[in-house]
Amino acid sequence: MTAAIDTPAIQTRGLTKRYRRVTALSDCSVTIPEGRICALVGPNGAGKTTLLRILSGLARATGGAASILGGAPRQDPAFLAEIGFLAQEIPLYRRFTAEDHIGFGAHLNPRWDGASVRSRLGELGIPVDRPVGKLSGGQRAQVALALTLAKRPRVLLLDEPVAALDPLARRQFLGTLTAAVADSGGELTVMLSSHLVGDLERVCDHLVLLAASRVQLCGDTDDLLATHKILVGARKDTSALGRAHTIVHAERTERQDTLLVRLSGPVIDPGYEVADVSLEELVLGYMGAGGPPAYAHLTAIGEDR
Amino acid sequence: MTWLVWRQYRLQAAAAAVLLAGFAAVMVVSGLQMASQWHAMLGTCTTGGGHSSCEGAPLGSTIGHDFEVLSVMVPAVLGIFFGAPLVAHELESGTSQYAWTQTITRTRWLTVKAGWLLLAAAVWGGAVAALVTWWSGPRNALYGNQFQPNYFDVQGIVPVGYAVFATALGIAAGTLLRRTLPAIAVVIGVFIGVRLFISDVVRQHYIPAVTSHMSFLSTPGTLARSWDLASGITGPNGQPLPQSSSVNSFNGVPLASLPHACQVLIGQASRQAMVAGDRCLDAAGYRVYDVYQPANRYWAFQGIETGVFVALAAVLLAITYAVVRRRDA
Repeated sequence: MTAAIDTPAIQTRGLTKRYRRVTALSDCSVTIPEGRICALVGPNGAGKTTLLRILSGLARATGGAASILGGAPRQDPAFLAEIGFLAQEIPLYRRFTAEDHIGFGAHLNPRWDGASVRSRLGELGIPVDRPVGKLSGGQRAQVALALTLAKRPRVLLLDEPVAALDPLARRQFLGTLTAAVADSGGELTVMLSSHLVGDLERVCDHLVLLAASRVQLCGDTDDLLATHKILVGARKDTSALGRAHTIVHAERTERQDTLLVRLSGPVIDPGYEVADVSLEELVLGYMGAGGPPAYAHLTAIGEDR
Repeated sequence: MTWLVWRQYRLQAAAAAVLLAGFAAVMVVSGLQMASQWHAMLGTCTTGGGHSSCEGAPLGSTIGHDFEVLSVMVPAVLGIFFGAPLVAHELESGTSQYAWTQTITRTRWLTVKAGWLLLAAAVWGGAVAALVTWWSGPRNALYGNQFQPNYFDVQGIVPVGYAVFATALGIAAGTLLRRTLPAIAVVIGVFIGVRLFISDVVRQHYIPAVTSHMSFLSTPGTLARSWDLASGITGPNGQPLPQSSSVNSFNGVPLASLPHACQVLIGQASRQAMVAGDRCLDAAGYRVYDVYQPANRYWAFQGIETGVFVALAAVLLAITYAVVRRRDA
């Protein structure tokens, strides 16, 4: 599968997944250019896993369309060779060793690079001859990532891969990931879902924010950070500000307003102090705005940091 | 992919090999003992009128017979250990998500896995059946009952059909239920149900049964090795007489429904009176009848029954393929 120069690595149009009673993903349209590391964030149940599973071909959408490097996800070796998928619970064969998995991958994948797994695990001091069920969670995640990379995918879909890891293992995991993307020379695109916005800020250059099964935000992180500001000022009527810009989220105390604003131009009102927004503040602001009762999750994210 | 199957199932394969070796040891040892016992009997038994004087004599060892009876459960065991976890365990542990995002289609993944496991089940079931068939040789010769239910079901080629069916049943149940344990319960319940239904209700109709009518005076022809389905007495109008299991019955027919003159003779114990009773019934137009499947249909029935179970297995596998291809992992 050769993609045209400007074919996005990942593109969805109106993607929808409905189960019998619940809608897991609704009218989801995102575009991620090739060579990006895209953070997929949102509260629990926002549809992150559903989106990743549809993109990897494991689940079928009930509406809309998805394409990976210009081709729809399907059960076909030409498609499957292009993607790498790592599910949240890191499902490897627990009785198999890493070496067994290397053999398994060699039998099933045409572009297999088993040596890269051995060298990567060697650097991290992870034994390749022990059943993966007996490794620690961090080691298992590293084994799974190394195996997924050895497939030489062009689109890597990772569902909460660092959720269960301690900070050091998380750092090592994300280090492996960024190194792999750097080594690929812009060929590898990653979509990575996580609650840990602080971690994502370091490695991601693209952001997709899902809340309540809808896309709230999608774009280049630098662009997003440049167009959003935090305005702090005395409490007052914000309707004039709201007409000129978009108030994403407002936090009001008796004396002070703290507003997350998407700018449509310069802020004229001198009563506001304008500050840059961090990725985390941006994400939290949008989750508060879009996901109805998202506050419970917000606390969780704060703690995770 | 074959490599994966071997790596995943090598423990089961080793356990199965050990169990088969143990089974073979018991059957071979007790079978050889029984064969020499049988040869000794052949020298002393006398044959006359289609019957051997040894008929009904005990032959073989208890443990050998126990193993022969137990072998009827072998296909269900294969369905439980080879079939049920095949897809269900991968869904349960999530490894299907790993396997199905490698560069292999789900169809091929299932074909290789199910193919090898079905072959293993057929070979294993076939090996057990071959041992039981060999072991039963002297008993078949003496009792001539290999066409009877329970004996038919553990000899020849039908156990291979059962093994393939039970394994396919386990695969399909595991795929539909997504969990191994409930799939095992389904294998046990459905396998026993289908087997009983086919052997008790369906099997006797594979080929229309033969009915033979005989005079009370003719020497009874031997129905040895055939499968007796029914027997009784027809009245002067040629219709079978209603049967009863009461004590006062003759060939399953209540004495009261026979002519009074004959009843008196039949009731007596002496051999002369019995012959006179037979004459009396014959003169009154009564005949003996037998409904049976002749012995020479044994292999036809084995073939048909195997075909029926292989066809059922094919239906189950078709369902499995459709579900694995279409459903979300």
